[in-house]
Amino acid sequence: MANRTRNLFGQGRAAWTPLVFLAPGVLLYLIIGVGPSLATSVYSFTNATGIRGAPVDWIGFDNYREFLFRGLASRDNLAALQRTLVFSVLVTVIQFSLGLLLAVLLNQKLKGRTFFRTLFFMPVILGVAIQGLMWKLFLLPRGGPMASFLGLFGTEGEFLGGQPGEAFFWVIVVQIWANVGITMVIFLAGMQTISADLYEAARIDGASGWKLFRSITWPQLTPAINTNFLLNIVGSLQAWQLFLVLLGYRPGTQVLGYLVFAEGFGQTSGAVTAGFRQGYAAAASIVLFLLVLVIGLGANKVVAYREERYMG
Amino acid sequence: MTTVIAKPGLEGPHSATAAARRTKLVSYLILAIFSVAYIGPILMLVNTSFKTLGDFFKDPIGLPTSLLWQNFVDAWNLANFPKYMLNSAIYASVATAIFVLTSLFVAFPIARGLFKGSSVLLTLYVVALFLPPALIPQFQLILNLGLYNTRPGFILLFLVNPIGMIILVNYIKSIPRELDESAAVDGCGYIRYVWTVVLPLIRPAVATVTVLHAIGIWNELILPTIYLSNDDYYPITRGLIVFEGVYGSNWPALAAAVLMLMIPMLVLFMFLQRYIISGLTAGSVKG
Repeated sequence: MANRTRNLFGQGRAAWTPLVFLAPGVLLYLIIGVGPSLATSVYSFTNATGIRGAPVDWIGFDNYREFLFRGLASRDNLAALQRTLVFSVLVTVIQFSLGLLLAVLLNQKLKGRTFFRTLFFMPVILGVAIQGLMWKLFLLPRGGPMASFLGLFGTEGEFLGGQPGEAFFWVIVVQIWANVGITMVIFLAGMQTISADLYEAARIDGASGWKLFRSITWPQLTPAINTNFLLNIVGSLQAWQLFLVLLGYRPGTQVLGYLVFAEGFGQTSGAVTAGFRQGYAAAASIVLFLLVLVIGLGANKVVAYREERYMG
Repeated sequence: MTTVIAKPGLEGPHSATAAARRTKLVSYLILAIFSVAYIGPILMLVNTSFKTLGDFFKDPIGLPTSLLWQNFVDAWNLANFPKYMLNSAIYASVATAIFVLTSLFVAFPIARGLFKGSSVLLTLYVVALFLPPALIPQFQLILNLGLYNTRPGFILLFLVNPIGMIILVNYIKSIPRELDESAAVDGCGYIRYVWTVVLPLIRPAVATVTVLHAIGIWNELILPTIYLSNDDYYPITRGLIVFEGVYGSNWPALAAAVLMLMIPMLVLFMFLQRYIISGLTAGSVKG
């Protein structure tokens, strides 16, 4: 920061006051936030467990070797990695598109648009426990609302209790349902910054409908598009909490985030045990982190290209 | 898909109005379909919560034969609602108060560049969003400090929030520096200045950060699962999931429990929506 200002508040000892009051917040951040974050990579090379004071040994790349290459478990891990990618791609594409569609619809002068906006945003503030339980009830297999609805078309389903693929599909549905509201409000906020004159001018040139969207809304919306694109990708790669509430730790449905939790803290909670493989879990979370990093950087390239193209 | 309704008169009055009406109709149709997916699960909760267990098993989606309030009483008592809600309220209010208070005195010097390295410090908050999760080392830290399964240890986890810090810093930057100078000339001390001049001016940002942070704590499910094994310390989210584990097949009581937790949040949301949405969209549309 070039425009650093002279400390206006006092000379001598009093000049230290800002620093003294800065310290608690910064220390908390270093000790609980950034420090542990960076230490994750260190722990990934150890055999740490959940026992207080138990010896922790340096074991090099063993955790990574085991996670990626050793035995049946590694095959499950790689399957989970692949599943994480599938989950992320589907959630990103669908949530982005639906969020954009809803924003376009609600950016018109429609009666009740505040109501709709509030309704679609509502799940965001409810949290995974409520979101999950609501949908467990809604997806009740026999005689539940969704089952009855699909029954009208002669379709049957076991929903969350069905085959892994079916259960996985419904988690994706709930994930999008719960979060599309954020995508929508970010698009709406972006649309509100677009000047009405631009549309007016284009309309005088005879543009309408799709053409207006393509030539004005889409390029002008670039910052909101980029934000949503990145948020959706990074968010969906790391999302796993709805799996916990909706399915529990079920073979054939886990994603990487859930795997980290299950290895590091046990599949159910309770007492702390030596069975917590914290070093191994740290390695798994570094694998996930690298995945997010590589994909995030790739997405950032796309974003930079779009900004270059549309905003100069 | 049009973003703006065509105004009549540009392409001939008749066709324009007809097209506008059609656009509107299609819009409402799509919105109605989405609404079903959002209202449906809530209606099902309400409907279920008034039923007897027998009614529910006979016909899950039928209307209740009578309005039964017993489920709410049962859920309130069986799910230990008062205890868990009090815990959640304590965690959310104590942690948010400490976080906002300490952050205020970090955000102001950073925003003003009061000391060498302020920009480095700000960078440290920004990159946090791209670092690996702190989950495992955090657990080792709390465990080895002997704070596992304690209230203070649990609250400690929520005293950090880089996004909240960035919102505060950006907002303070919008306050003119001349104000600092005139206050200093008048002999106003640092703490009094931040507290009585800066704080009232950045109230919208403080409100946003407070609301987002408190909601985040209130809704958190994973950290209590990891850190708290004594049910006296459970927050309401964990309590609800444990209740589900025990009374999982008693959907009427479970639905009542979910509703009782949901309704206060929805009411609060109606009042605080502005702050929540401004926080979530902050900085996302300016590029």
